[in-house]
Amino acid sequence: MLEEALEHLVKGIVDHPRDVTVDLVGGRRGKTLEVRVHPDDLGKVIGRGGRTAKALRTVMAGVGGRGLRVDVVDTDGR
Amino acid sequence: MSVPHSPATDTAATAEATSGAVLTPATGVPDGPADLPDTDEAGADSTLEPADEVVVAGGRSGGTELLVREGDVAGDYLERLLDILDVDGDIDLDVEGDRASVAIVGGELDDLVGSDGAVLEALQELTRLAVAQSTGVRSRLMLDIGGYRARRRASLTAMAAEAAERVAGSRQAERLAPMNPFERKVVHDVIAGVAGVRSESEGEEPNRRVVVLPER
Repeated sequence: MLEEALEHLVKGIVDHPRDVTVDLVGGRRGKTLEVRVHPDDLGKVIGRGGRTAKALRTVMAGVGGRGLRVDVVDTDGR
Repeated sequence: MSVPHSPATDTAATAEATSGAVLTPATGVPDGPADLPDTDEAGADSTLEPADEVVVAGGRSGGTELLVREGDVAGDYLERLLDILDVDGDIDLDVEGDRASVAIVGGELDDLVGSDGAVLEALQELTRLAVAQSTGVRSRLMLDIGGYRARRRASLTAMAAEAAERVAGSRQAERLAPMNPFERKVVHDVIAGVAGVRSESEGEEPNRRVVVLPER
């Protein structure tokens, strides 16, 4: 549910929605949602000064609990 | 981010917002959709900045039509989110002045408001980006969830009226607590309606605050 919610939120704000994937990974520091987007969309998902990424984190922490992290994975150049 | 603001920025923007300026579509204007999130003006707090006038001035007629479309896109974006989260809530769409207005009502919506409306502000920002992505025009839509903004507006209006009264009597300027752009606009609008006082904003986000001053 949380992966799907974040995937939906991100798909709506990028140029390449089909390239958006979200994985929920568990670690010793709690759950993390890993977001991957088309390299050209990285800037959109992070936003100016990181403000879009921050908004995504705020929303996901609100619906998924404070311990839930959101990580925008930089796949550029791989 | 540190975009320098002049002290009177919000006051000027208030005048703009209340002057009945109509946000018109800027499709075809040189700085197109692809640039939106990266421009200096992008973002929620630019709502009240004069930079908006550039968009307004660059637009054409048919503003209401665009605002209705903004509401539709926003409604779809938020409705799908509610579905995924299995949250009950209806979406009300409206056009208020020169902005699309979107409200999620009913249900258990506290998580979507968050403490001090933080989640609401974040969702509004994402919704504006989703709208801009779809329409190609930067959006200034207002989102409310569970009546949070309506309640906040009521308490801020009362607080601003009291501050205006004190300043009109004492002739001493008063600095109010830091507020977000929405909250500052509510206060500026109240102060503008009281004789003998005026208001400015000072400081940088997130500590930007309204100062109520006696009129010279």
